[in-house]
Amino acid sequence: MADIKAPMGGKVIKVSVNVGDSIAEDDEVAVLEAMKMEMPILSEEDGTVAEVKVSAGQTVEAEQVLVVLS
Amino acid sequence: MKVPETTKEKIAELKRRDDEAKMGGGQGRIDAQHAKGKMTARERIEALLDEGSFSEFDRFVVHRCNDFGMEKSKIPGDGVVTGYGTVNGRPLFVFSQDFTVFGGSLSGPFGEKVCKVMDLAVKAGAPIVGLNDSGGARIQEGVVSLGSYGEIFRRNVLASGVVPQISAIMGPCAGGAVYSPAITDFIFMVDQTSYMHITGPQVIKTVTGEDVTSETLGGAKVHNTKSGVAQFMCNSDAECLEQVRKLLSYLPQNWEQKPPELTCADSSERADKDLDDFIPDSSKAPYNMKQLIKKVVDKGSFFEQAKHFAKNMITAFARLGGMSVGIVANNPMHLAGCLDIDASRKCSRFVRFCDAFNIPVITFVDVPGFLPGIHQEYGGIITHGSKVIYAYCEATVPLITVITRKAYGGAYDVMGSKHHGADVNFAFPTAEIAVMGPEGAVNIIFRKEINEAEDKAARHKELVDNYRARFASPYYAAELGYVDEIIMPSQTRSKVIRALNALKNKRTFRPVRRHGNVPL
Repeated sequence: MADIKAPMGGKVIKVSVNVGDSIAEDDEVAVLEAMKMEMPILSEEDGTVAEVKVSAGQTVEAEQVLVVLS
Repeated sequence: MKVPETTKEKIAELKRRDDEAKMGGGQGRIDAQHAKGKMTARERIEALLDEGSFSEFDRFVVHRCNDFGMEKSKIPGDGVVTGYGTVNGRPLFVFSQDFTVFGGSLSGPFGEKVCKVMDLAVKAGAPIVGLNDSGGARIQEGVVSLGSYGEIFRRNVLASGVVPQISAIMGPCAGGAVYSPAITDFIFMVDQTSYMHITGPQVIKTVTGEDVTSETLGGAKVHNTKSGVAQFMCNSDAECLEQVRKLLSYLPQNWEQKPPELTCADSSERADKDLDDFIPDSSKAPYNMKQLIKKVVDKGSFFEQAKHFAKNMITAFARLGGMSVGIVANNPMHLAGCLDIDASRKCSRFVRFCDAFNIPVITFVDVPGFLPGIHQEYGGIITHGSKVIYAYCEATVPLITVITRKAYGGAYDVMGSKHHGADVNFAFPTAEIAVMGPEGAVNIIFRKEINEAEDKAARHKELVDNYRARFASPYYAAELGYVDEIIMPSQTRSKVIRALNALKNKRTFRPVRRHGNVPL
């Protein structure tokens, strides 16, 4: 299990994965907008998406869990 | 043992002693070292240096400890192999700790051997590489061992900025022993077989009750991603030593020399049409800055340092027209390319290294500002951010800056601006050089006017468009001479190389003083 967290506070503008997707390191799991920049959130490891904790439009804080990998 | 009498016997005796010394702690311990996936101290030296170039010092040194039964156990070399050789034909001094001998623990004579090659490296003006694999102080020797560490640390400090110092951690490196590598310019770590920490898992367990392993406390991943202590992470001893050789190829032998200039097959005038539509239309969209840099520098020359740490800042060595350069760049793919504490530390240390060793610094700027937040302020971003200013302002090497997109606020100043002494500053037509983004600026300047407008949204948009036209471009800065030239992105390579050539013999003068007070 691994959590993919927001590196900084901002707004989720896109969730790029669904539960059950298998993803590789550096795959985009979501896009966050902060500092007037769209920021792709990349997975740091290979895995399968076990849980998606946020949806597009939602505001998140730094370190908030976005996606859980199994 | 028979005392050799004839010349033939004396020759044979030297061979016998040499062979004995080369076995270190014996075949059993060598096998154990190999079983862990590690090379021996001598194998590492062979892999690091040009084939057959190694000359060894102090092969027969033994310890002088007569306590705790140590007098019965003496092994020639005493746990460290030292000497000199060449890398790519250039001289290099090296010490390689031998874990098969007393666990590579540091005795008085061990320290003397290390100090001897360090002193010679400084005199000879050649780099020093330390290969670390040691259990720490030789406890039987008590304070003698600590004294030796101190002698090594002091030499590390005195050699700093005189010759390049490189450390590879290829096994344990714990307690005070970490401070010698820490003072050197670069630390390489081998994943899974090396670790560095001040206090070990047992001490932590006793004091705080936490259960940690050496790997989670101070493994290669930890120091390459979280602490920033190490700049390179390698998968094996062989890969690590190959990377050290590669790093050396970008560096001069000492501070008085320039880095080696290679003949370059990649044309200096090569234009890359892709770069003209590389920056996205939306200023919110990220793009791959590393790819942009790779299109500019000599093909295959991009060599990143600290690539897993503070990914919002890219620091790398590369070549331009065969000349060695240091690249600093914001990375819009991570944390929007903001400056934060870690990025500031990474950038400032790299710029200061380049400046110490005559390596010009090329800065690619796309920075929306400093990362806002309580953690940043409590963590001292004011001090850490100021290191970047300090590093650029004190640098005397050629400084060339390319603003690709955003250069906002204080971060504009910090990232190699003209005001901080950069010599040649370019901007892409996509550059936005301003005190802040248009929306934010308009909200502040025209707050009253927008509130009083009949159609607030329309007035806001109009004002934003006006602001963008006036300030969110490179042209206002160009009117002021803050950028020297607005260039076609496809021409970046030839523009930067021409500037580098023009600046080759740059000279600057600094006020006389004991030393500056860099905000550490």
